Amino acid sequence: MTRGWIALAVMCSAAACRRPPQPGEPLRGLSAAERARFDSGRAVFDSTFTPAVGLGPLFNASRCGECHEDPVTGANGDEVEHHATVFHPERAGAMCDELADKGGPVFQDSVTPALHAALGIDREPRPSIVTTVAERTTPDIFGFGLLDAVPDSVILSYADPDDRNHDGISGRPNRFFDGRLGRFGRKALVPTLREFNDGAFQAEIGITNPSVPQEGTVAGDSLPAGTDPAPDPEIGARGLELTDAFVRLLAPPAPLKQSREARRGSDVFARVGCTGCHVPTLRTGDNPIAALRHKEVAAYTDLLLHDMGPKLADICFGLATPSEFRTEPLMGMRLVTHFLHDGRANTPEQAIEMHDGEGARSRDLFDALPAADRAALVAFLKTL
Amino acid sequence: MHRVTLLSLASFILPLALAAQQPPTVPHDSVRGAIRAVNVRARTLEVTTGVGYAIRVVRLQVPASVPITNRDGGQGAPIKLAELKPGDVIRASFGGRPTGFVAYTIERVGRMDAGAGRVP
Repeated sequence: MTRGWIALAVMCSAAACRRPPQPGEPLRGLSAAERARFDSGRAVFDSTFTPAVGLGPLFNASRCGECHEDPVTGANGDEVEHHATVFHPERAGAMCDELADKGGPVFQDSVTPALHAALGIDREPRPSIVTTVAERTTPDIFGFGLLDAVPDSVILSYADPDDRNHDGISGRPNRFFDGRLGRFGRKALVPTLREFNDGAFQAEIGITNPSVPQEGTVAGDSLPAGTDPAPDPEIGARGLELTDAFVRLLAPPAPLKQSREARRGSDVFARVGCTGCHVPTLRTGDNPIAALRHKEVAAYTDLLLHDMGPKLADICFGLATPSEFRTEPLMGMRLVTHFLHDGRANTPEQAIEMHDGEGARSRDLFDALPAADRAALVAFLKTL
Repeated sequence: MHRVTLLSLASFILPLALAAQQPPTVPHDSVRGAIRAVNVRARTLEVTTGVGYAIRVVRLQVPASVPITNRDGGQGAPIKLAELKPGDVIRASFGGRPTGFVAYTIERVGRMDAGAGRVP
């Protein structure tokens, strides 16, 4: 009898190991040390910063998990923040002013009591030269370590900036200021996940760190004396590394089992041309972490910029013009409640209808489908 | 006593004054980023750089003696400050002075819109 229970326990344990990752869980196949870093990193990710330990004095949130929270830590959130830049279309090769001299494009919506007392402001003021303010929702960050592990050459292989194949889709890469290929952020500016995470501590929470040792400014002006009493850096290298480990090792949610309708929807998704930008799978390259090495990731993105038409246009960013956006990864889409970069669409159907520019042809083909095929495509999206 | 005080004061101030006149031999810092603005008359550069969305600008004074070279197709050929344009990706070493950051070397490595290779 006891032997039977042991066998059952072993079988259950094996089944649990095979169970696909759920939202918020780590990648399968981590070493014990990697799993320990993931767990410790989650604690840092969920740590609340106060003014006494460095919060702000300008900030959007007091912890990473305040925005990446729904339904689990690392998922999306209902917060909307504001980015601003100045677009100069006449300046070839340098069309975008990211307001680097004003502290960058992220204009924080909250201030500490000390900064409020000193300047009487409730948020960072936007300079008068700003031409456009964009709203940005919080995306989930599941599977981003896999996106980070995709070689540049894979992304560039999908680029077709001059549309030489005449399919109406002309994805092109964005690049960071030092010339490296970008891939993270709604405009694909940031080259690596680590830089995105390290920069977010300062830009989103006001936490200086070894990568970003300087405190932010108030629209370019230095902070008033005494408004940021915590010594810099306000988080150390260990905290950064653990946070990065948590984000890097978060698994993409496994797609749900597809119904017959959803399987048909997957075919429709390809037939109307969605896969021209939402490339179903990318393959990672060599990587020091085995769980990230040479893996297929069902990301449904090419990580390139595409012109989405004037109605969606907002800010420029790096090489991205106002109407260009990075193809949004669709992994984990079933957990999303508001769609597109600013959450303006409440349903997948609305999001499809708002595709224009390079997405117009697929949108029109979607509109022309029989109702059953449109429903099948949406059913497929809800399995991702 | 008065002479001793003056000598002590001179021995304290003289090294500081000399140090302020001479450029340090070891670079203080380096930056790789995109040129945001060039002022040839004032001999200054603004370089956009940063980490993720924490974007900042580095302002550099460029004395006439600073070597400016072009790695982008030029095999390190010398170029003039006026040849640098917004959108050029440069690598610069610089040091701090009471008047701000002063460039020691500047190398143009490419254009942001053309890519400038991987950063080591």
